[in-house]
Amino acid sequence: MRLELKGLTKKFGSFTADDDIDLVVEPGQIHAVLGENGAGKSTLMNMLYGILTPTSGEILIDGEPVSFSGPGDAIAAGIGMVHQHFKLVGPFSVADNVQLGREHTRGAGVLSARAARKAVLDVSEQYGLRLDPDAVCEDLPVGVQQRVEIVKALSGPKTELLILDEPTAVLTPAEITELLQIMRNLAQAGTSILFISHKLKEVQAVADKITVIRRGKVVAELAPTASESEMASAMVGRAVSLQVDKTPAVPGEPRLEVKDLTVVSDAGVKVLDALELTVNGGEIVGLAGVEGNGQTELARAILGLLKPDSGYIAIDGRDAHGRGPARRIADGLGYIPEDRGRDGLVSEFSVAENIVLNQYKDEPYSKRGVVDSGAVHKRAVDSIAEFDIRTQSPDESASSLSGGNQQKVIIAREFSRPRRFLVAAQPTRGVDVGATEFIHSRLIAERDTGTGVLLISSELDEIYALADRIAVIYNGRIVGEVAPDTPREVIGRLMVGAAGAPATTEPLNTEPLNDEDTDGGDR
Amino acid sequence: MAVDTAPAPALVDDRAPARHLKAGITYLVLGALLVVVALTWLGGHSTTVAFDKTLTDVRWDVPTFGVVLALGIACAAAGAWMCVGLPQRRFKSASAAAVAAFVLALLFWAYSQEGTVFRAESILAGALFLSMPYIFGALSGVVCERSGVINIGIEGQFLMGAFTGVLVANITGSIYAGLAGAMIAGSLSTMLLALLATKYQVNQVVVGVILNLLALGFTSFMYDQLKKADGLNDAFSVPVISWGPLADIPVLGPVLFQQKLFVYVGLVMVLVVWFLLYRTRWGLRTRAVGEHPAAADSMGVNVNRLRYWNVVAAGLLAGFGGAWFTLGNSLAFNKNMTAGLGFVALAVMIVGRWNPLGVLAGALIFGFTTQIARDLSAAGSSVPGEFLQMLPYAVTLVVVAGLIGKAKAPAADGVPYNPGDK
Repeated sequence: MRLELKGLTKKFGSFTADDDIDLVVEPGQIHAVLGENGAGKSTLMNMLYGILTPTSGEILIDGEPVSFSGPGDAIAAGIGMVHQHFKLVGPFSVADNVQLGREHTRGAGVLSARAARKAVLDVSEQYGLRLDPDAVCEDLPVGVQQRVEIVKALSGPKTELLILDEPTAVLTPAEITELLQIMRNLAQAGTSILFISHKLKEVQAVADKITVIRRGKVVAELAPTASESEMASAMVGRAVSLQVDKTPAVPGEPRLEVKDLTVVSDAGVKVLDALELTVNGGEIVGLAGVEGNGQTELARAILGLLKPDSGYIAIDGRDAHGRGPARRIADGLGYIPEDRGRDGLVSEFSVAENIVLNQYKDEPYSKRGVVDSGAVHKRAVDSIAEFDIRTQSPDESASSLSGGNQQKVIIAREFSRPRRFLVAAQPTRGVDVGATEFIHSRLIAERDTGTGVLLISSELDEIYALADRIAVIYNGRIVGEVAPDTPREVIGRLMVGAAGAPATTEPLNTEPLNDEDTDGGDR
Repeated sequence: MAVDTAPAPALVDDRAPARHLKAGITYLVLGALLVVVALTWLGGHSTTVAFDKTLTDVRWDVPTFGVVLALGIACAAAGAWMCVGLPQRRFKSASAAAVAAFVLALLFWAYSQEGTVFRAESILAGALFLSMPYIFGALSGVVCERSGVINIGIEGQFLMGAFTGVLVANITGSIYAGLAGAMIAGSLSTMLLALLATKYQVNQVVVGVILNLLALGFTSFMYDQLKKADGLNDAFSVPVISWGPLADIPVLGPVLFQQKLFVYVGLVMVLVVWFLLYRTRWGLRTRAVGEHPAAADSMGVNVNRLRYWNVVAAGLLAGFGGAWFTLGNSLAFNKNMTAGLGFVALAVMIVGRWNPLGVLAGALIFGFTTQIARDLSAAGSSVPGEFLQMLPYAVTLVVVAGLIGKAKAPAADGVPYNPGDK
């Protein structure tokens, strides 16, 4: 399928999300669309997929103008989409998710489970995407869930164009390699692919053509031979340094000691299994691992939101047992949560209120139990200037900010008190290149003042850029501690539990079809 | 790749004993209470069980003291086992046994008084009949909430159905026209909810509350008006369907084969809704829309249209359930005659975990306890009637707390959907 966009524009009120976008995807081509968060990529894809209606401009398929009134039309026209936030119904089986909207029936609307199962197996065999049609989606690891999404997109009546919206955001390095190979295979078989991403390496590795958009406009058309810094500066609109400058760490005394920490989930699974970890002052320890291997629980246990079933946590040499989160924060613990929408911000509160969220009851923001809004406002103005938070005013609600600026609000809040130890969980998730650069340099500066930093990240690039020491977590255990110059493959193997762990019998919940895949970390 | 060698996630052994102090102490105390009751009051009492419809000459006299004592000890033993520590996988069955023992003991105790007879067949048949409004109301709720719309207006739809059923039956002279009228009235009442919930995205709880008040006010007003005219609010009754020789089977016959139309429709609807929900295209889409509307939308399912029609269809069920109050019981309409059962139906839906089969089980528990309360009160039990009326809810509380635990609603229940949402 040849897809052409001519002057596609989308306005929301006075705000122009996409402005006069021209783009051509040739049959069998992998076309990458690069852009920062909020550049208008998702809006563009939603127009292509019939979720949003363009304000002006047209979409041509094989030269014919088309208009979609809903995703059903786009699917019928041969477009399949893998959404950034998976659109899978958790309690449904793989087969049910794939057949939703185009069910296999035995007439009179009665479902045929057998036909649905067979359809999944057919598609997965045709494209080499192994799946168990009867597995329940919410129990599958993210990498497999994404495979379900791809099979779902390919199961349309005649899918010839596949849109992949930030498909690698949640995958392990091995899964990413596998996905890029799948994309190449699909393109070879004639499927056109539109690949949305802000990860430069992947784009470079797989794209035939690159379109860069910034603030809703096409700003550059690049060949895949373009260098990473060329792509980054086109995205951001200025020269960006992709290297983080840092001096060797000067580790001091331990600031975090975790011993034999075990947490059992409601389902009876040990999400943390006798975990041992030490972070010293003046160093950044990167915690690498596939998501869902206990990182979230470790961060929450350190903050005190989760009560360990056994084990010992000491922050700055003091046993944290019996101390609630407020006490630990007051004692010098800083915390950047992984899900800023849920744990980091009160999104309906103003920027100023969010900045003082952990100090509102201390002097000078409160006097005798009454909040002094003047002092809060002044503090917010200072922080906004210091941390370069792009907001209309301190009174703007936090939800109106872009992801990167929301993250800066959290960092402004956490970095404004004296700290001894900092947990930074996914500090640059969903944050654009410019803000990432800023956050990284602040984390390094933080380390240089002698704070111990535990950096939890699913992005190996970020771990490599910042960490002085890398610990790899798998199934709730630290399966290896390595130096920051360890090759990627070694860490990648540790992340799926393939090395350093005792060889035992078959994993319990790896579905039989996936014996060659990297789903060892099922959770 | 070498993933085959990956260690499995460490599971906590479900055979290892674990303590459940809270539950254990509760059952221990309940069991001890029964033992004390048996020892102090029940010496010499006996409970009479009779089969009043088929085998009229059979009467069993059971010594209450021994039975309650045994059941009390069983309940306390289960509690003690939990305190000491029992394998995780045995916990559920142990709780079930403890709750069953406790409830059964209460039953024997209640029927040990002078002059009370546990007429097994009448009581079970009555229980099934009394569970019908819960079944219809809860099924209506299931259809709404599975597609993501909270309907707390079932009480109002009951009233509309009860009122309209009698009115239409009086005007046309046909009970079946009355039933149809009740369904349409229920449906018209939910149509407002459907429109406000999908098109205008008004808060569904607010709409539901208002619909209840609206229905109460409207039917009460119309009732006063109808009193002035003759022949508009006379009682009509649905015939009892008897299955010939099948009706003479002990216990089963009177319970299953000699009931009113409502019972058969209700039982069939449980199966029908279950089948539709889990085995058809409509059901798959309905569940998807209630769980993850954006996913359904991205596959070309029109979320709000499906929700709209589901809510309207649910109104048919609730309206039919409303007719049970008047036509089903051979009664004329009276102000607020549904007496809050619409809200109980909502509870039944939750106890039944939004599953038609669960709804059936929940409705039967409510129906049974309601029937017991009525029967005891009619037999002139020394316990005050108001106290007995609390019984169904008290028992339900014990059952729900002891057995059902946390119920998980459809993820998008009550959340309005805008196309383009994530």
